Amino acid sequence: MARMGMVFDLKACIGCNACVIACKQENSLPNGVFFTKTLSEEYGVFPMANRVFIPTICNHCEDAPCEKVCPTGATYTREDGIVMVDDDKCIGCSSCSVACPYDQRTQMEESDFLKGLFGNGEITPFEEDGYGRYTPGTVTKCDFCSQRVDVGLDPACVVTCPTNARIFGDLDDVHSAPSKMIRERHGRPPLPEKNTKPKVFYVN
Amino acid sequence: MAIEDKVFSGDTLRSGYRFQRHWDNSMAYAFIFAELGAGIFFVSLLMNSLLGMIMGLVLVSTGKPYFHLAHMGVPSRSWRAMLRPDRSWISRGLLGLGAMIGTGFLYVIALAFGEKLGISPDSGLPGLLKVASATFAIVVMSYQGFAMSHSTAIGIWNSAIIPMASLLYSLSLGVAGALVLLPAAQAGGLVDTQLLLLLGLAIMHVMLLHGGWHGSPGARTSVELLLQTSYSKWFWGLVIAAGIVLPALIMWGAPGNRLLAIISGVAMLGGFCAWRILIFKIGVYEPILSMNPFRTAG
Repeated sequence: MARMGMVFDLKACIGCNACVIACKQENSLPNGVFFTKTLSEEYGVFPMANRVFIPTICNHCEDAPCEKVCPTGATYTREDGIVMVDDDKCIGCSSCSVACPYDQRTQMEESDFLKGLFGNGEITPFEEDGYGRYTPGTVTKCDFCSQRVDVGLDPACVVTCPTNARIFGDLDDVHSAPSKMIRERHGRPPLPEKNTKPKVFYVN
Repeated sequence: MAIEDKVFSGDTLRSGYRFQRHWDNSMAYAFIFAELGAGIFFVSLLMNSLLGMIMGLVLVSTGKPYFHLAHMGVPSRSWRAMLRPDRSWISRGLLGLGAMIGTGFLYVIALAFGEKLGISPDSGLPGLLKVASATFAIVVMSYQGFAMSHSTAIGIWNSAIIPMASLLYSLSLGVAGALVLLPAAQAGGLVDTQLLLLLGLAIMHVMLLHGGWHGSPGARTSVELLLQTSYSKWFWGLVIAAGIVLPALIMWGAPGNRLLAIISGVAMLGGFCAWRILIFKIGVYEPILSMNPFRTAG
């Protein structure tokens, strides 16, 4: 069985946030809710100052702490390693949110939906159609666009990235692009000391 | 790195420490009601104080569910939270809470109306209910600490001291309640117990700060937030001075004075509430990745 994962090439990321917008569009995310974020960090002093971009996403951990603490079994791992949230079972207790070391969980507040995408309280037909998949009050997160993966497509953020900074594939396949990249460029997971075994890696 | 040099990114798109904001004040109030109520119930059970038992049960069965439901995203589904006791402390706690309220009220009924209902005090039933409700009260007194310490994400919570803190605070507040409710002759023996519990609380705080300071960067940042920012006045003033030092001085100097026992109880409650809120506020997530080659470890 496949073990889906992602690699972020920090040398390639230019911080354009196209992935963020593609994710919001694909998943009909309301105002203020993100499944992926591109964080920035500045270092050094002039004239040696620099800025790097760090894309973040749910790491679909093999030993997912969010799954362990869920009191209803709403969080579960698919056979291909994608960590999912069953919207019908989630009670919105936020146990998963405080258990996730990567702060990748978001509670969908009713007010998030009412604000509208432009923050003026108007809901466009596109939003009206997309919001139906969520229950206000539940906690959600990235699912690697499982609806796309199921039909053999890459997640929306990966397809959109103009610099190929996001590489998606089967980590169990030694010939897959992410496996090769992790091997050749010494990919490292975020916060390895938390022992969550993330399936997202960073290379530089 | 000093606290003023650390980046707190909040909910912005910068890399840095991020504050825990998922468990808010209403969750803290739910924790307060559970630990206060279970503590009062447990100590009253041991001291055979019917009024204390009722008071404890009322606190646990009203404030705790109310604030929990206020926090819950989908309150109508909250019953589902008891489905996974095999892996979640929330589930275990909820089952323990229900069992404590059920057996506790049955014990109170057996104690108050036993003769009318034909339940003999010598029969096994009241004794069984007493042991069962005491056991479940211990679960309620401590499970919230376990639920917090289970989180590896927030360094300061991820410690064995947190469940111990829940239990110690719960017991000491229970004893403080008994000292107010019980007649002086009956409560006299509790003064030494309270002094020991207050000593235990002081040691617990030292251990938590020491463990955090020498722990992960996130835990150290939380300790710095507690001691070096505007939170410090609440910590030293309410948690330590009002919540531990003042009650200890009262217990030591004027153990039999009812008015001072009430002042001591109120001060302890203030210290406990402040600690519960502060421990939620100082929880931080660590930066997930730092590419800064000049950054040194916290």
